[in-house]
Amino acid sequence: MAQIFPQSTNRLPLLVAVVALVLPAAAVGGVWYYFSPRFTDVGYQPVQPVPYSHKLHAGEMQIDCRYCHASVESSPIANVPPTQACMNCHLLVSRNVESLAPIRDSAKSGLPMRWVRVHKISEYAYFHHSAHVAAGVGCVSCHGHVEEMEVVRQVEPLSMSWCLDCHRNPEPHLRPPSEVTNMTWKPARDPEGRARQIGALRPVNPPIDCSGCHR
Amino acid sequence: MSAEYWRSLGELEGSAESRAFREREFPEGASEPPDAVSRRTVLSLLGASVSMAGLACRRPEERIVPYVEAPEPIVPGVPRHYATTMPSGTSAYGLVVESHEGRPTKIEGNELHPASLGSSSARVQASVYDLYDPDRSQAVLKRGEPSTWADFVAAWKERAKAHAADAGEGLAVLSAPSSSPTLSRLKAAFQKSYPRARFVTRAAVSDARVLAGIARAAGRPLMPVYRLEKAKAILAIDADILHADPEMIRHTRGFAAGRRVQAPGDAMNRLWAVEALFSITGGNADHRLRLAARRIPAFVAALAAELRRRGLTLDAPAVPELPGVDAAWLRALADDLLAHRGASLVVAGPRQPEAVHAAVVVLNAALGNVGSTVDYREPVDALLPSPDAFADLVEALADGKVKTLVVLGGNPAYDAPADLEFAAAAAKAEELVHLGTHVDETGALASWHVPSAHFLEAWGDARASCGTLSVVQPLIMPLYGAKSAVEVLGLLASGEDKPGHELVQATWHPILGESGFETRWNRVLHDGVLPQSALPGARLELKPGTFAELAAAARSAAEASGDLELVFQACPKLEGGASANNAWLQELPDAITKVTWDNPLLVSPATAATLHLKDEDVVKLEVAGRALELPILRVPGIAEGSLVLSLGYGRKQAGRVGSGIGFDAFALRTTAGLDLATDVKLTPAGRSYPLAQTQEHGAMEGRSIIREATLDRYKQDPKFATDTTPLFSLWTEHEYKTRPQWGMVIDLNACTGCNACSVACQSENTVPVVGKDQVRRGREMSWLRIDRYFTGEPDAPGAAFQPVPCMHCENAPCEQVCPVAATVHDAEGLNAMVYNRCIGTRYCSNNCPYKVRRFNFFNYTKDTPRVLQLVNNPDVTVRARGVMEKCTFCVQRLSAAKIDARLSGRELRDGDAKTACQQACPAEAIRFGDLLDLESQVAKARSSDRTYALLAELNTRPRTTYQARLRNPHPSLARPPKTEVGTSGGAAAPPPAKDQSHG
Repeated sequence: MAQIFPQSTNRLPLLVAVVALVLPAAAVGGVWYYFSPRFTDVGYQPVQPVPYSHKLHAGEMQIDCRYCHASVESSPIANVPPTQACMNCHLLVSRNVESLAPIRDSAKSGLPMRWVRVHKISEYAYFHHSAHVAAGVGCVSCHGHVEEMEVVRQVEPLSMSWCLDCHRNPEPHLRPPSEVTNMTWKPARDPEGRARQIGALRPVNPPIDCSGCHR
Repeated sequence: MSAEYWRSLGELEGSAESRAFREREFPEGASEPPDAVSRRTVLSLLGASVSMAGLACRRPEERIVPYVEAPEPIVPGVPRHYATTMPSGTSAYGLVVESHEGRPTKIEGNELHPASLGSSSARVQASVYDLYDPDRSQAVLKRGEPSTWADFVAAWKERAKAHAADAGEGLAVLSAPSSSPTLSRLKAAFQKSYPRARFVTRAAVSDARVLAGIARAAGRPLMPVYRLEKAKAILAIDADILHADPEMIRHTRGFAAGRRVQAPGDAMNRLWAVEALFSITGGNADHRLRLAARRIPAFVAALAAELRRRGLTLDAPAVPELPGVDAAWLRALADDLLAHRGASLVVAGPRQPEAVHAAVVVLNAALGNVGSTVDYREPVDALLPSPDAFADLVEALADGKVKTLVVLGGNPAYDAPADLEFAAAAAKAEELVHLGTHVDETGALASWHVPSAHFLEAWGDARASCGTLSVVQPLIMPLYGAKSAVEVLGLLASGEDKPGHELVQATWHPILGESGFETRWNRVLHDGVLPQSALPGARLELKPGTFAELAAAARSAAEASGDLELVFQACPKLEGGASANNAWLQELPDAITKVTWDNPLLVSPATAATLHLKDEDVVKLEVAGRALELPILRVPGIAEGSLVLSLGYGRKQAGRVGSGIGFDAFALRTTAGLDLATDVKLTPAGRSYPLAQTQEHGAMEGRSIIREATLDRYKQDPKFATDTTPLFSLWTEHEYKTRPQWGMVIDLNACTGCNACSVACQSENTVPVVGKDQVRRGREMSWLRIDRYFTGEPDAPGAAFQPVPCMHCENAPCEQVCPVAATVHDAEGLNAMVYNRCIGTRYCSNNCPYKVRRFNFFNYTKDTPRVLQLVNNPDVTVRARGVMEKCTFCVQRLSAAKIDARLSGRELRDGDAKTACQQACPAEAIRFGDLLDLESQVAKARSSDRTYALLAELNTRPRTTYQARLRNPHPSLARPPKTEVGTSGGAAAPPPAKDQSHG
């Protein structure tokens, strides 16, 4: 009598076992990775109304971050500059460049620019720029090498676990406050040099409680 | 039930409903959906739904919109603070207002200003809501059709020509009371331009009778300035000096200063109150006598006679003994006043007749109080209300003698005495110009309506009660092109449309002097006050015959017919109806009755019993042929036969929040019975009307929650309030060692129960309004409630008030039951609430012994109109449906203070971080700070003798503690020990078993 099930059926339990193991693992892994800000947010690079190049301004021309983001040392928010700040230079340079037309229109009409937000923390978390700058966290730590970006993109996940990684162990990310906007500053490799570098800093005591950021 | 403290009559009587209420964690129906048409629905209908942001692939695209030209002083993200002034009738409060990128969000008192002293009141706190009220009128209207200010100016110039021809014969201006030098100057200019025009000042509820009484005694109207801080014995005669009075902030500060007992040796003032209704002042009195309002003149006569018998020089005739007034009580009061000559104070309330006020002036003078505890000053720059002039004006209107009536603020069509028939009379004027914040009852009659500017939008000036000058400085451009009274009167007076800034500066040039004007002007704007501009007290030359008039007034009052009297009180929340569209104030529980969204008729339990009425029964109330149907509420402590009714409700055209809320008491109010009506008839209407009280929500029964002793007892046993129950924990407790460790101490001896903290919390923390229906279901959201307990005998109770925020327990019961760790402790001792973790099980609220957690049963904030969203604090998360919330100790302020200290390179100092409630409290009853800083105010208060923790026996180790209340009864009236009010020292013995099931 012929066998009802072909021989290949013998492999079925193994196959079921493999699928039963792999599929959930893949699902969990998939959600773990693809639903995390590391995947969803990192690399976010929206098109801006004016193709402003940080690479040109901050990189090649070495304009300090604080020329435009003036309130970073005194406010929770590092403001996006007013149209006026653009026009301070562009009254004189690149006066007739096509791509700057929205800026000139804004200055003329009094209607503000509408830039697209790149770095965004959930509204129930309250981030304070000046507190971080005063503590000696460099711009580059969170925003990456903006001075090399033609169009700004997000390079860090800005997720809670990413925040907490630093809050739990801030030392490796600290630098003298005078070097905060220095995009090329490197921490010293040797412990003594490192101690010299950050010795001037007061001890930071970043909150790791919920109430530190959520209110 | 023999409780010494009871919260409601139901509890005292042990009614089944009351018991059932207390035994449920959430009130009945708390989990059921609301009725189809509820107040909340109405609120949610206010706004268009929020448009959904376009969903991009990863996340909604969000725009950053920077300035085009950045205003120099504004740093985005950093709030700025400006001094300004809130005018309030003939007085004013100096304020410091927080502004976020040009948007005022939070109001605080100005420490330099003598009428606010850095504190505020519920009304002051809520006034920022009025700025963003979505129902404000938004355009100039000509006969109801949209028009423009320019059109109005043109029309006025045309009309002015006609009036100039006959010197203003048919022209009349009706203004609200004010203390503005600019308005006063413009009034003079107006009268010069139109010598025959009428200029009448009125308010629905005013102190006109106080000034008239003083004028009787002193020959001219003078404004009284009371200094409670200097008084050792205070008698309040039908006067709610600690709450309804416009000067309640200053009074409360002074009163609390006289009661700040730190050690057993300290002295304490004594407050006596005589009143028909139950006021906050009565609740805080050491001795309170309830007496029908119409019998109070006789009481004052009897007091004068007693004082004269004791040798005080008065021309008071002897009077027969007064029934209902204990002779020993009167003797003790006279004793106390005489023992503190020069440091006593007698105050009568605006409800009393002129003769009483005249007598009070004479009494204060005879007791040597004038110049020390009370000053009478000249009413410089004041537009004083005159009911008689208003009655004349209405008569002239009815006779057709007034062609043009300009109403500069106020709402006479709603709140004028009903017998004057203002609306009918005003219809005879050819032109009715109305300046108002809303198209209200008067605005609806107007041929021209001009939107009135909020005080945060317009230039102005004002004198405080003591005469100190300050400028009203706008923080924002008028939202709807609104105009101020200064600008409109400026137009009327000169025929030219001048900006308010110019008009106010023109007044201030002579005040500040021409040389260096700009510098001094800027200084005044910066400080919010012109130093040394207070007015001195006037010399009094008293006229004789005061007491003969008083005796006559007492006799005529006694002859009034009927057992019942109707006492009108201006609702202290709604300011007689002007704030009826303010949802914060509508939902704020009344200080005594704890009723929200309504004004029931208040009666004493005995009066209700004789009429076979119970709470919420509707009655027909008839006064001199006018009738109103409304529900009753029994309140212990109201005089027998007195019916108390709040003015300010039942508005027809207040806006979407306030229209149709409550009952229009003005419909019953006539010129003859302006504040007190006799010949009142009450008949049951045979139905009932639901009231939303927060009174019994979350009741804490049978435990020594408020601890209280007499001053003598405290001297003998300074530790009377201390708990002696041994506490031990099942697990090792967390050690709190890092600085700071936040804590709060609330001094119940200073707290008067005025509600300022409650509204300050709402404003600071964006606490939503839920509406009457939701409050009835126990879903009110207030983070800081004020519990009111009646104390002592049911027929002559006192009251005790206890603000209850989150206790921030070190062993927090809520944290132990949260399945998702949405409420956790932080290193600084805060019990933090993490909204985005909360899944809404409500276990935490079940397990909270203090019942301070609030649950968002619905998305109360989702449909808030856009303009009203501007009042939200940008530093606080707006909570969504299904999330628990509660007091955070204003964690946003703590963060800001810590970061500010760090940025300026110093340690956190005591006073850097203030909670909103602490900052608002006029009594300075709330101390907050770092408990580990032994020099801090809070640490000192916490280590005082009187400190105790609420329900300490549960070993929750609260960070918020209380200081026990002290009473200072007169030695001859001190009750025998067995009925002494207060706890019996230490924690009460463990309560009966049924209580433990709650823990």
